[in-house]
Amino acid sequence: MAEPSDPSPAPDALPEPRIVRARRWNVSLVWLVPAVAIAIAASMLVRSVFLTGPRIEIEFKSADGVEAGKTEVRYKEVVIGKVVGVALRDDRERVVVVVQLDQSAARFAVEDTTFWVVKPRIGTGGVSGLGTLFSGAYIGTDAGVSTRSRSEFVGLEAPPLVLRGEPGAIFVLRASDLGSLDVGSPVFYRRTQVGRLVGYTLDADRDELTVKVFIEAPYPKLVTTNSRFWNASGIDLTLNASGLTVNTQTLVSILAGGVAFETPTDGTRATPAPENSVFALFNDRRSALAPPDGSALPLRMSFDQSVRGLVPGATIDLLGVDIGRVRTVALDYDAKRKRFPVEVVADIFPTRLGPVRSALLRDVHGAGDAAVLQQLVANGLRAQLRTGNLLTGQLYVALDFIPGPPRTATIDDDGSVRLPTAPGTLSELQPQIAEIVQKVSKIPFDEIGRDLRTTLASASKAINQLSPEAQKALAEVQRTLQRTQATLESLDRNVADPSAPVQRNLEETLLELQRTSRALRLLSDYLQQHPEALLRGKPADAPVPQR
Amino acid sequence: MTAASEPPLLLGCESCGLVSPAVVLDDPTLVQECPRCGHVLAATKPHALQRTWAFVGAAAVLYIPANALPVMVTTQALQRDEHTLLGGIHELWLDGSWGLSIIVFVASIAVPVLKIAVLGLLAWTVRHKPHWRRLERARLYRLVETVGHWSMLDVYVVVLLAATVRFGALASASPGPGLISFAAVVVLTMLATWSFDPRLIWRDVPDGRTV
Repeated sequence: MAEPSDPSPAPDALPEPRIVRARRWNVSLVWLVPAVAIAIAASMLVRSVFLTGPRIEIEFKSADGVEAGKTEVRYKEVVIGKVVGVALRDDRERVVVVVQLDQSAARFAVEDTTFWVVKPRIGTGGVSGLGTLFSGAYIGTDAGVSTRSRSEFVGLEAPPLVLRGEPGAIFVLRASDLGSLDVGSPVFYRRTQVGRLVGYTLDADRDELTVKVFIEAPYPKLVTTNSRFWNASGIDLTLNASGLTVNTQTLVSILAGGVAFETPTDGTRATPAPENSVFALFNDRRSALAPPDGSALPLRMSFDQSVRGLVPGATIDLLGVDIGRVRTVALDYDAKRKRFPVEVVADIFPTRLGPVRSALLRDVHGAGDAAVLQQLVANGLRAQLRTGNLLTGQLYVALDFIPGPPRTATIDDDGSVRLPTAPGTLSELQPQIAEIVQKVSKIPFDEIGRDLRTTLASASKAINQLSPEAQKALAEVQRTLQRTQATLESLDRNVADPSAPVQRNLEETLLELQRTSRALRLLSDYLQQHPEALLRGKPADAPVPQR
Repeated sequence: MTAASEPPLLLGCESCGLVSPAVVLDDPTLVQECPRCGHVLAATKPHALQRTWAFVGAAAVLYIPANALPVMVTTQALQRDEHTLLGGIHELWLDGSWGLSIIVFVASIAVPVLKIAVLGLLAWTVRHKPHWRRLERARLYRLVETVGHWSMLDVYVVVLLAATVRFGALASASPGPGLISFAAVVVLTMLATWSFDPRLIWRDVPDGRTV
């Protein structure tokens, strides 16, 4: 044990122990270790227990793609929580997804927050959520602004198209037909996309569609109270006197449909429309930009003739001005007369009359458009079917003043005006032509033909009997003519020929007469200058002047 | 404390093995030194029980966040996953990797719990049941000492993953707060093991006598 060189005493003697002062080391300092551990553990636990956000429950139709412990809850792609449990609701109708929100996301557990599952979606508006192909579905969030907290939510089945706080404005369009529009369809202004369609509902009570469009900032101010919206889907092809016009929006809208709007520049000052203003959605640009029709006045007309060529939508025309549309054409039965009159229901738009309308309304002391119509009928206004297109045989209803027995317009229970009708020009013509044809058919063409033949036969007989005398008479005529010709020839020789004596004599006489008249003229001239010559005679000639 | 009822006659140096006669010291600020190498000589380690208790207590406290908090946070293609110790073992078990699951369970749950429990038991019996199964307790201590470092397995795995799995947005792994607690638990149990003096088990037993 002890080394040989060791200075310590012999092996059997134990070395002298050394006593030294211990380093100052307070043993109770070791208790700092558990204290620090407790502090650390407590802080960690406090952070994870007390600093976790609220736990919320979201109901979905199905938990497709949602996995407990994996699926995240994100707001603007920032993770704010995680699904910690997926369970069926007690009634097994829906799925309850339990979400543990982060502490920083505690504000999300308020009343108007919405949740939805983000999955890859391919629609007409584009492809979305492609990232979830790799990461799996996640729950998207739109933060609410309410201050009332809540822990049970009902999730949306599809992502909302407008997130809260997205700058822009929503406008409501009322449409009769959705056309090829769909959620996500673009909204165009001057062929530039300024928004999108965010939803539509079929309003069963009003039997029309309510379409909501979202116009992104800063474009909402382009929507004015005068703006007109129309369905810009597809290709608008117009052929008229000015040629062929093809009107389209972008290729996307041709394929996927779209809404366009425009503000007609008709001089009136347009103010930006407030959010959620309601507009009508027209079927095309032309009808959209036409002056507003106002409320329609229904008309009922009963025609006693075929209405072949009259289709719903045909024009109602007042002296050439388009004032309405045919709504329905239906067959009626008149038991009294045993006839099938055709009942035509049409809408006319009194506002299309323009300033005339107010004058007419003043005439009836403001009793309304129906009263105006009644007065016009009393003055002879009648509905009449007329041919609009000779090629296709399309008919339109013309309102015109037609002389005839006075009639009145009645107003039906439903407020529609029953307008008296006049037979159409074509239908008026038909009986007249028939009458003529009838008269023509009454003419005894057979008898006439027979009579004519006998007449012709007797005529030819008479001519045959007359022929010998006629030949004689003709020979006489010929002789007479020959003689006349001879007379004329001699006359010609004696008179007309320039060498004839009559001609020559006449010529000489005329020359003599000419000379005489010249001499007379000289005499008269001389006498004019020298009237004294009558008394004194002609003086001697003046001497020739000498040089 | 060391100079208790029955003081030893001789003290062996833990550093160089030299045996010196024990001196009874009345002043607590004085200690006996090995006359050859200068190592402090004592019949048992000073304040061994107090230190053991402190470290075991700290380890026990930190063991709670080590299990409750995620030890690893992995990100796979936008999907962020947090794994706790028990959760990871559960996942491994569900995946069918039972062997791996058992290994991880032993290394990260069983061993630390065992160590904390054994050290607590040893420290408690020194004071309250000094005569109870001394040989087994001594063996238990040696077992704990041997098996101690293996608990760092989890820490190594996570640190290796965090260092190697770095594929940007596709996949990445990073240590969670639970891992720090867990590492602290392992270190603290090792410190507690080191603080405990197995000689305390045999304190009042005369030489050569078995219990």
